[in-house]
Amino acid sequence: MKVKALSIGMTLAAATMLAGQALAFEPTRPVEFVVASGPGGGTDNFARTIQSIITKHKLMDQSMVVLNKGGGSGAEAFLYARKNEGDPNKLYFGTNNAYLLPHVAKLAYSMEDLRPVAALAFDEFLIWVKGDSEYTTPAALIEAAKAKPNGVTFAGSQSKDTDETLVALIEQTTGTKFKYLPFNGGGEVGVQLAGGHVAANVNNPNENIGQWQAGAVKPLCVFSDKPMAKGEPVYDGKGWGDIPTCASSGVNIPSYKMPRTVWTAAGTPDEAVTYYSDVLKKVSETPEWAEYIKKTSQTGDFLAGQPLQDFITTSEKSTVGVFEAEGWLVK
Amino acid sequence: MRIKRLHVELATAVTLAAVGALGATGALELGVSWSDSGPMPGYFPFYVGIILIIAAFASATQAIFRMRMGSEEMRETFLEPEQTQRVLSFLLPMVVFVVVTVFLGTYIGTALYLFYVAWRNGGYKPWIAILIGIAFSIALYFVFEKAFQVPLHKGPIEEMLGIY
Amino acid sequence: MENFELLMGGFATALTPMHITLMIVGVLLGLIVGVLPGLGAPNGVSLLIPLTFAMDPVSAIILLASMYWGALFGGSTTSILFNIPGEPSSVATTFDGYPMARSGQSTRALTLAFMSAGIGAFVGIVVITLLSSWAARFALRFGAAEYFAVYFLAFCAFIGMGSASPIKTAVSLSLGLLLSTVGMDTVTGSLRLTFGLDALLSGVSFLVVVIGLFGIGELLATVQDGLKFRGVASRIDPRDVFKTMLELPKYITTIIRSSAVGVWMGITPGGPTAASFMSYGLARQWSKPGAKFGTGRPEGIVAPETADHSAGTCAMLPMLALGVPSSATAAVMMGGLMIWGLTPGPMLFSTQPDFVWGLIASMYIANFVGVILVLLTVPFFAALLRIPFAIIGPMIVAICFVGAYTVANSTSDLWLVLIFGVVGFVFNKLEFPLAPLVLAMVLGSKAESSFHQSMIASDGSLGIFFSNYLVGTIMTIALALLIIPQTLKFIQYLKSHKSVDSAA
Repeated sequence: MKVKALSIGMTLAAATMLAGQALAFEPTRPVEFVVASGPGGGTDNFARTIQSIITKHKLMDQSMVVLNKGGGSGAEAFLYARKNEGDPNKLYFGTNNAYLLPHVAKLAYSMEDLRPVAALAFDEFLIWVKGDSEYTTPAALIEAAKAKPNGVTFAGSQSKDTDETLVALIEQTTGTKFKYLPFNGGGEVGVQLAGGHVAANVNNPNENIGQWQAGAVKPLCVFSDKPMAKGEPVYDGKGWGDIPTCASSGVNIPSYKMPRTVWTAAGTPDEAVTYYSDVLKKVSETPEWAEYIKKTSQTGDFLAGQPLQDFITTSEKSTVGVFEAEGWLVK
Repeated sequence: MRIKRLHVELATAVTLAAVGALGATGALELGVSWSDSGPMPGYFPFYVGIILIIAAFASATQAIFRMRMGSEEMRETFLEPEQTQRVLSFLLPMVVFVVVTVFLGTYIGTALYLFYVAWRNGGYKPWIAILIGIAFSIALYFVFEKAFQVPLHKGPIEEMLGIY
Repeated sequence: MENFELLMGGFATALTPMHITLMIVGVLLGLIVGVLPGLGAPNGVSLLIPLTFAMDPVSAIILLASMYWGALFGGSTTSILFNIPGEPSSVATTFDGYPMARSGQSTRALTLAFMSAGIGAFVGIVVITLLSSWAARFALRFGAAEYFAVYFLAFCAFIGMGSASPIKTAVSLSLGLLLSTVGMDTVTGSLRLTFGLDALLSGVSFLVVVIGLFGIGELLATVQDGLKFRGVASRIDPRDVFKTMLELPKYITTIIRSSAVGVWMGITPGGPTAASFMSYGLARQWSKPGAKFGTGRPEGIVAPETADHSAGTCAMLPMLALGVPSSATAAVMMGGLMIWGLTPGPMLFSTQPDFVWGLIASMYIANFVGVILVLLTVPFFAALLRIPFAIIGPMIVAICFVGAYTVANSTSDLWLVLIFGVVGFVFNKLEFPLAPLVLAMVLGSKAESSFHQSMIASDGSLGIFFSNYLVGTIMTIALALLIIPQTLKFIQYLKSHKSVDSAA
């Protein structure tokens, strides 16, 4: 089966390579958008927004089909990439999970099976506590954890994923020990905090804004080197721009962001990668994209080519350091 | 030899116990004890596997016990020859359908399968049967691929014809 | 009464020709995706979302929500006619719906299902209208331990009063639980029981198992007695629809109880699938002794359908008010909300009253439209059964396999369907109950995760399940539902044995 899929992939790759030499790359059939999350997740919205912008501005002649492959924290999508080596009509949408998953779980794919195309947005992380919480600064939260190790609970999405990695990073930086409680998704995590079942979470802005508007939760600091873009006040006269950076308020982690990334399978010809990164570049310049970035309170930053490669290398290296210290690495 | 219900009961129990054993051994490498943060990942699968083994053996014992007590039910034939033939005449084409679908794609598989069953089991004329098969395949294509943009499994023939 | 005024405002928004057209289109599309096992509401909704960017949010959500209702209705149709649940939440409808249709009363079965579904949805909407703010606050009180208690309650209510042999129920239940542990475990992040197979990475899909066990398994059972549908000399008479509607008041207690179960499971994290199982279990428990469930009892159709739809409706509430999607469809719709520039959360009700109340008003109308539309389709669907088996049989098989394939676009699922088809056939013949297996697959991994989360939170103390009134009460009710029927059965068994002994 696998052999068959591979051989088809190879004939295809050969065919397109021949075509590629003759003229610039164009997708030859409807482009599959393979999404490394279930329907409705952050990555899913990311892919579908891009799909709708490409459709609206007619940036590609071929149509697009979205396929959700969220199994195994998104590993399913990247395994699919391995099976479709060299297929230039498939794009894979993920986060940093693409290059981090193989470090924490025994999986049949590695970074060798993927080629980065572009990163279009960076999702911020914040420390949130309940609206009426006694902790008003990150330092107070850290103090409480120092006084009572394992007594302060952070909720987060999934296990050994971005949220737990960040909590581990906080622990390693400040020399504390928190309790980490994994849930299924950001929405659930937000409600657990609003209901007072946990002390804090590290949700993305988008996942907690609804609860913040109601004053049920409040942000303490953001893991970014500079404060977020100013905007309208959200609750009690405060908006995103008023949140201090974590580094300036006692948690010395200068920056922690999750890239929203697009990949192709290994063996995809260079022309195809260039073609897609050009299309995505155009997407990132549309007003609709700016609107999406604003609504989801992400940072819009377009990376492709060497800068993207460098970013991935640095990000992978530093995160693997955290994994190593926590003993999560799989051999 | 006639296959009695008892035989099938026993075979099922053994198969289930094997599945339970597979699950339990698979769970062993994940750690099956209770750590300080609650059960380890293998804890549930391991014990559920063990329970399945026990329940399967209990079910087998019960069947044997009922046989000994003179239960008529256990002596009944599981499938009469005629029934076996009917079930197989339905199941075998289905198995072939799956094999063909895996290698040649959904559309070819479906058309051939419908054609075969309508022709052999339904007694339709071959050309009517093949029309039924092709019409249904085309309908599937339009509903799934065109109307709802859900791609179905395709094989080399679609590839050749340039149908995506 | 403030809500009432807002609702009237909502009706003014919803009752425009444009919106009514959208509702009809939505419900019809939903019916189609609901009937085909390969497509579900999430497919339909995600397909429509790009189209909705050009609409204003109220119109967009009306279209999507109508599609969702349509899909819920459509899911019951195939459950009843072919024993293939089109949607996970209509599995419980097969237990009595299919036998009733098989006995030649397909019109009656479908009408019962649609009418009770409509009533269930109506109750759900009334609850949303009256209790939205209270229910949202109540849902906030659910932490990991409470989640577990709710799942446990659903288990106990269903398992407590099974008629099958306890040993075989245990086999079925543990097999289901074992299957539910395959794949990535959320809490520990480790891959379990995948044996190195990529196909098992995302677990054994519930839908694939159900299609095999019920759809293919039942077809195999059908053909052993001849290559035709069992006893389908069904007469189609529109008058049957009305006759059945007049029958409904007889099941008023079942309807009330099932709506209550549905509302409860919709607001709490249980969800529609658990609600329909629990409601079916309770209906069986409350029925007069000697009532044979699983043979086409009307209550066996009314109970799961009412609960399914009231839960499905109430589940909109956590999505809107808390931003927690209760199902895959809700997740897609929520994604849509964000793209339209709305933030689900406690403030949605006060910042976007037009949107929220327009949606709620449209639920009343769309469900009404939905019931009428599906009733109109009853004769058509019932007529499907008249197509010769040699044609419709393989078509159903093909649709089953197509459906299984679309779950994860994986051909290995086709083999799973085949295996579970044979398992379903053998289990049926040997009288292993299938329902506990299915229930265990639906709730097993959720229950395990929330149990594990509770253990982390409490440092491994089981006391957390009785740590406050809410969780303690739910746990107590659950245990009572599990233990009391068994005790009663045991006492009865002792008594009957005594009388047999003395007679001998």
